Amino acid sequence: MMKFKLLLVGSLVAIGAMALLAGNITEREKQRVELAKAPSEAGIEGKAKSEEWAKYYPRQFDSWKKTKESDNLDDMLAKKPYLAVAWAGYPFSKDYNAPRGHYYAVQDNINSLRTGAPTDAKTGPLPTACWTCKSPDVPRLIEEDGELEYYTGKWAKYGAQVVNSVGCATCHDDKTAQLSVRVPHLNRGLAAAGLKSFEESTHQEKRSLVCAQCHVEYYFQKTEWKDAKGDAKTAMVVTLPYKNGLTVEGMEKYYDDINFSDWTNSISKTPMIKAQHPDWELWRTGIHGQKGVSCADCHMPYTQEGAVKYSDHQVQSPLKTMDKSCMNCHRESEEKLKGIVHQKMERKDFLMDIAFDNIGKAHIETGRAIEAGASDAELKEIRTLIRHAQWRGDMAIAGHGAFFHAPEEVLRLLGSANDQAQQARIKLVSILAKHGVMDYVAPEFDTKDKAQKIAKVDMPALIAEKLKFKETLEKEWKKEAAAKGRLAPNSVALDPAVDSKSSYFDKNKK
Amino acid sequence: MKNSNFLKYAALLVFVIAIGFFAYMVHASKALSYLSSDPKACINCHVMNTQYATWQHSSHAERAGCIDCHLPRDNMVNKYIAKARDGYNHSVAFTFNTYKNAIKISDDGAKRVQENCISCHASLTSQMTINSDNDHKYDDPSVATGRRCWECHKGVPHGKVRGLATTPNNLGVKEVK
Repeated sequence: MMKFKLLLVGSLVAIGAMALLAGNITEREKQRVELAKAPSEAGIEGKAKSEEWAKYYPRQFDSWKKTKESDNLDDMLAKKPYLAVAWAGYPFSKDYNAPRGHYYAVQDNINSLRTGAPTDAKTGPLPTACWTCKSPDVPRLIEEDGELEYYTGKWAKYGAQVVNSVGCATCHDDKTAQLSVRVPHLNRGLAAAGLKSFEESTHQEKRSLVCAQCHVEYYFQKTEWKDAKGDAKTAMVVTLPYKNGLTVEGMEKYYDDINFSDWTNSISKTPMIKAQHPDWELWRTGIHGQKGVSCADCHMPYTQEGAVKYSDHQVQSPLKTMDKSCMNCHRESEEKLKGIVHQKMERKDFLMDIAFDNIGKAHIETGRAIEAGASDAELKEIRTLIRHAQWRGDMAIAGHGAFFHAPEEVLRLLGSANDQAQQARIKLVSILAKHGVMDYVAPEFDTKDKAQKIAKVDMPALIAEKLKFKETLEKEWKKEAAAKGRLAPNSVALDPAVDSKSSYFDKNKK
Repeated sequence: MKNSNFLKYAALLVFVIAIGFFAYMVHASKALSYLSSDPKACINCHVMNTQYATWQHSSHAERAGCIDCHLPRDNMVNKYIAKARDGYNHSVAFTFNTYKNAIKISDDGAKRVQENCISCHASLTSQMTINSDNDHKYDDPSVATGRRCWECHKGVPHGKVRGLATTPNNLGVKEVK
């Protein structure tokens, strides 16, 4: 009898084990079938809502949603206080954090002290153009209202309209799911530079160009126009300064030729240009760009899970996905590669600190020369040097990955920035002396507080009005957006966690 | 007596079911294909799609399949030992999802491939192997002083980029025909 007992138990165990394995095989087969699902010719209804796309692309959506994990608020002004002096008189001297994940794009735009505290749809300080890169609701608005109307007015005008963060519809066509771009500034910029349009580009080029919708240098071009009623209006149109090419010198010449300045530095009264985030332009000059490695190759690596393969939409530092991003081509150890990347960053930081220390001092010394009675004519050459020095320095650091994308170019730009700042400072010594100021030493700006004091930034007042805005107007925006169905019920914008953190409310909210 | 009869028939019935289930599993997991030398067997579990696609487009596709390079060819015993060991490791890794996406060949696997390169290209490499035996240590798993064929012939046969990025449109199990 014993052997029948053994046979029974043995058979049951074998059946159990095989059932588990059969389940695993069936699951993998199901994954293969799922891959074939795609949106139809009719397109996706409410395509600005990424949640609607999740029905077809659950893995891509889930990985996109994980950009929530990149929630670190790194206060760059605390880390590099000289930036507050360089940007004196400009919103960037108030608040500047290292970027969080795509999940937070809309909320961070609202939370930043840079966007101020509007009280209604018509109050500022910033124009509607500031929404352009934040959301797939923007192409929707451009389609509905027309491009020039979209670019007219203040940022608060669209507070209740721009509610879905950078998502599926930002880069994909909702009928075919192919890569697509629905904002007009990219193709205009490419045409100005004599480059192929997005549609004429190869798929591999598109895998970088969709990122170039936003991760580029741009400015707001003042454009006068008349609406249907014949009323004169002014639009601030997002424009890429590529007419003289994509080099830093080419863009510098473009801005100089049209006499453009983003603002005037309040200490040195120098007309300045603020570099935005020229990630795409700098990537092109670096080795990965020149070899044809696209943004998506590293930041959205192909990922294998069971029987399926998909692009990881958790856009983040490739150092977090080295096996899928780097190791496809590089065959040494992950640790060794990581060390090389960190070394590049240290080298950038070394030269950045030197160059911007000199730029900050040049601003302050120019301010002292103005006090002592130096004329605009005397300071003209110095201001040109400061303008160019800071532009080049800013171009090197404004895109956080530039030290890696194009290390040599970043060091070249910082070297050039430091040289021009030094030239300005040498000339300043003689101008100060001419006006009787000898041995002037600029005050220290080695902490955020000291630097913001020099830049005359009143943080408590800015924070107070921002918190008031968040309690009033922002709440109305969210209510209206939800009521009008612009947000999916399970939308990330309604997730309280999205708004749980900022550089200032943790310290100021009670 | 009645009880023991019941146990006997129950045990036999369950045993027959287990055998039937086993036969089904052999079918579902395409297990018999592993006894063949068909390269398609290597993409049963979807992990090797990239390697299959790149090989399919390579100069080796007409002449040599997966096992011609990757399994020992000196004798049947070594071949089947290697096949069983690799098969077991691969199936565990795939079932429990423990493998990395940029797959790297093991030292043992690299040694086998190197030997197979030389064995097929013997007429081409005979003088080279005589010369290089003085300098290179093919048997040294760390290859401290030596070079493997594919360190120069980088694109043979799987392309220079060895990972999922090589065949971006080969999603899932789509075969390149």
